[in-house]
Amino acid sequence: MGIREELERIGKDTLQDLGKVTDTQTLEQLKVRVLGKKGSLTALLRGMGALSAEERPKMGQIINEYRARLQEALDRKMDELSAREKEARLEKEALDITEPRDKVEIGAVHPTQAVLREVLDCFTGLGFEVVEGPEVELDHYNFELLNLPKNHPARDAQDTFYVDDNIVMRTHTSPVQARVMLSRKPPIRVVCPGRVFRADEIDATHSPVFHQIEGLVIDENVTMGDLKGTLDAFARKLYGEDITTRFRPSFFPFTEPSAEVDLTCFNCRGKGCRMCKGTGFIEVLGCGMVNPHVLEMCGIDPEKYSGFAFGIGLERITLLRYGITDMRLLYEGDLRFLRQFR
Amino acid sequence: MKISMNWLKKYTDIPCDNASYESRMVMSGTGVEGMEDLGRGLKNVVVGRVLTCEAHPNSDHLHVCSVDVGEGSPLQIVCGAPNVEAGILVPVAKVGAELPGGHTIGKSRLRGVESQGMLCSGDEIGVPVELYPSVGSEGLLIFREEYPLGTDVREIFGLNDTVVDFEILANRPDCLSAWGIARETAAALDTPLRLPEVRVREDGDGDIREYVDIRVEDSGLCPRYAARVIKNVRVAPSPLWLRQILYAAGMRSINNVVDITNLVMLETGHPMHAFDLDKVKEHKIIVRRTTPEEGLTTLDGKTYRMTGNELAICDVDGPTGLAGVMGGEESEITEATRTVMFECASFDRTSIRLTTRRLGFRTEASGRFERGVSPRTVGTALERACQMVNELDAGDVVPGVIDLYPDPLPKVQVDAPVDYICRRTGVALSGEEMAALLKKLQFGVTLEDGVLHCEVPDFRQDVEGKHDICEEVLRMAGYDRIPSTRLKGETTQGGLNVKLRRHTQVQDLLTGMGFYETMTYSFISQKVLDQLCMDENDPRRKPVQIRNPLGEDTACLRTTLLPGLMKTMSGNQRAGNERGRVYELGNAYDPVEKTDEGLPVERDTLALGLWGAGCDFYTIRGVAEALLDRLGVKYTIVNARENALHPGRRCALASADGQTLCVLGQMHPDTAEAFEMDRGSYVCEMDLDKVFAAARPMGHTVPIARFPAVERDLALVMDEDRQLGPVMAHMKAACGDCLEEIRLFDVFRGIQVGPGRKSAAFNLILRSPDHTLTEEEINALVKKALDAAAADGAVLRL
Repeated sequence: MGIREELERIGKDTLQDLGKVTDTQTLEQLKVRVLGKKGSLTALLRGMGALSAEERPKMGQIINEYRARLQEALDRKMDELSAREKEARLEKEALDITEPRDKVEIGAVHPTQAVLREVLDCFTGLGFEVVEGPEVELDHYNFELLNLPKNHPARDAQDTFYVDDNIVMRTHTSPVQARVMLSRKPPIRVVCPGRVFRADEIDATHSPVFHQIEGLVIDENVTMGDLKGTLDAFARKLYGEDITTRFRPSFFPFTEPSAEVDLTCFNCRGKGCRMCKGTGFIEVLGCGMVNPHVLEMCGIDPEKYSGFAFGIGLERITLLRYGITDMRLLYEGDLRFLRQFR
Repeated sequence: MKISMNWLKKYTDIPCDNASYESRMVMSGTGVEGMEDLGRGLKNVVVGRVLTCEAHPNSDHLHVCSVDVGEGSPLQIVCGAPNVEAGILVPVAKVGAELPGGHTIGKSRLRGVESQGMLCSGDEIGVPVELYPSVGSEGLLIFREEYPLGTDVREIFGLNDTVVDFEILANRPDCLSAWGIARETAAALDTPLRLPEVRVREDGDGDIREYVDIRVEDSGLCPRYAARVIKNVRVAPSPLWLRQILYAAGMRSINNVVDITNLVMLETGHPMHAFDLDKVKEHKIIVRRTTPEEGLTTLDGKTYRMTGNELAICDVDGPTGLAGVMGGEESEITEATRTVMFECASFDRTSIRLTTRRLGFRTEASGRFERGVSPRTVGTALERACQMVNELDAGDVVPGVIDLYPDPLPKVQVDAPVDYICRRTGVALSGEEMAALLKKLQFGVTLEDGVLHCEVPDFRQDVEGKHDICEEVLRMAGYDRIPSTRLKGETTQGGLNVKLRRHTQVQDLLTGMGFYETMTYSFISQKVLDQLCMDENDPRRKPVQIRNPLGEDTACLRTTLLPGLMKTMSGNQRAGNERGRVYELGNAYDPVEKTDEGLPVERDTLALGLWGAGCDFYTIRGVAEALLDRLGVKYTIVNARENALHPGRRCALASADGQTLCVLGQMHPDTAEAFEMDRGSYVCEMDLDKVFAAARPMGHTVPIARFPAVERDLALVMDEDRQLGPVMAHMKAACGDCLEEIRLFDVFRGIQVGPGRKSAAFNLILRSPDHTLTEEEINALVKKALDAAAADGAVLRL
């Protein structure tokens, strides 16, 4: 049989086999059988040594073209089969995508901290710098510099934990105000968040440890209108554009005039509900214009400068914000509670 | 401060409903805590006369009465009271009446006889004997006076009234009085004020100095002491109107003399005291400090030992009463009292406060003195009491007053520029408007060249400067007039401080790692520290103590955050939370180190805890390491001594200069048991001050390596107790920078390596920053590594 016939036969057989192949593995074997080092077509090429010098290149070209055609056919088949096999494999790998499994657990910051972040975000945006002070504080800063001399009856309103005669657990964040005023020159715009302590028995609305955020602004020509404007901005940022503040006269030794501030009830938006006891307002913070005596004691000229201060109870706004009815939950750290704040 | 509306209406008009009255008062600075309708639940009870009273045919104690209530035919009412008889005037609950406590009276039959209502006792209609002393003490309330039949009994008892509970601000002790509230009401509602004119008729004879001799030895503690004497005293029950006022204010009626002192206190805010002058030895009163060890028996019969700091009212033998706190037992007013001395004084509030604190009790009077009673208005109150004696005909006022007031306080004058008030409040008001507002509050005001010259009324002790005038103007103008304006002036740089920025970073990292933030109290107990099994000399065992703690559990300032964290973990485990990750950020209070100001140093601390399936020692260490890595802190793992942790499963991470950054590990089984925690609980406590100090500033990078790396795997066999960390560190040190990384990928134990031995497989990544390593260089590096390991007793596994 001549090379040409042999070539025809190989081609025919190969194509015939190719038609029967159904998997890539068999196809690979077929490929080796025909095109591999010991394959039939390769052998044919090798057998060309017997041909004349004229015939050799001609025949070589024919065989190579033939080879290329077979190669192409095999490759096409390979693509086809591997695509099918991949599909089958993927199908086999399919999972029950609805089967419940554990999620990666992401934690959460404490609810009061989440609210604190919002509050600080609001005030830092208004140009307030965050300043902190010690939790164990000198009586001097906690009371005296704030117009609450020793044995002043207004001290009773803040049942104080004493470490000794001169050292107390701070009862509010206001001493940071005093420290700031003593160490800086106006203009001053600071907010001072932190833990505060009162000798209150633990119950649903009281805790011996809680948090306040103090705000202080000292500059020339600061008015109570600026105080209202600042707190309005705070109320809107935290609770929405339709929330406003209502100022009521009050008394704090370190401010004059002083005010209690109510916000539009953010539950009923002012219509009146159980949360606001039908009033449409919720008491949220205390504030006022810094008492000139306090400025004087802290080395700031009250004739030149004026300022305002406010104090926000962080737990109070947190409880209201999330509708939490028992303050103790904030300090128990039960994950069933904390997992609700993601 | 409880005051009845009917009483207030004597002094001013209240031409609005209760709700708007409340709102007007609140918005002008007088809080309202509540309003109570006195006659609530008492309806359809009227005055009736028992016309006839006959024995019930089927009962030996009931009577059948016919009762005239002033309408149509008499009612037939069955009554079981022992004091029922024909002719008496009694409260009658008609059919349909409501009684306090929710009872409704209906038509009924009692043992076969129809009853069209009920005759009532004082208890049944909520009228105590202090409010209305009935004729006789048991059974039906029998009226002493005549009233038209059918009169609603609420009118008679003053129960058609609302009692308002006012919340008085700390700077307004003058408002702890009916007159004070009336003044505020008139100012807030802009209604006329009608306070009584105080005038005394001295209808006794002689002179007060013939009756009593008073000496004040400490005018610092007693700036003013004034007295009047009443002779021919006629002690009797008080009239109904006076009883009603006291009842509405929550006070009991005693007799006319004592009731007058209480009435004047309620009217003016001045506590007063009445002495039976005949029982005062030698009629001498000395106001002085006690001497140490002196004893004193008060009105309530208790004896106290004095310290020498209290102010006492004394007779020639010694203290008989504590000034401003409680009177003496001996000179109490009784029915036999014939001569009375009224005392009205002003005492130093700090002294009173310290005294009541020390003795551990307060009285109505001491509470008022602590809040401040002005010496200026003492005279008015005393005269008012005598005026009431005149009015009630309770005795004859002896001419003359003793008024020891050596340093009279001057009138307070304050000048407040109009533009100052406008600038401070942001409210544009004219000087004339301001003057008008201040006049409503009884200030004397003249306006001159844009300045308000104000004369502060005597009853106001809180107004000292122009800022106070500013507040008075503003609250009268209305806080709702404050505009909402933005801050002006120089811009300032806002932002978090460094510590909070770092905290935010730590919180966010931990949130991502599945941790929930918790908060616990800053207080712990000594016992809890003991349970942590710290060494005897561990300074954390001696925390800063709270002098007046709520209880033993909260008596100390925490020196570590672990107890709070462990309590949180244990609480969760017992609540069935099978696994969890929690942390707390907060201060621990250094028991030894103090700041320059002498305050305990507050250490910024992070406590982490985790428990549940799939976590072990390496989990908590991994969390701590990840945090330090992310904060750019270099650390080494070293042994730690922390007795609360498992001795073989605990470590510290130390900074390059050897400072302990954190301690972590598995709970010691004993500690776990003491805190009721699972044994598989892991904790870490990190000193954030040190961590943040060691933290590399963010933003530092190195270029990517450009030459290829070569990897070599080595399996080293060593003793079981050989720590891998130092072995790896030594290999790294031996090879220098060209050993880019050394990774542990397997630890094998088994007979192949022998008992008590382990095989650790390491993957070494070798790379030079400036050239491709040659085969010789690689072999040399591997040899260095092996030599270093061999020095640690770790040899190549063959």
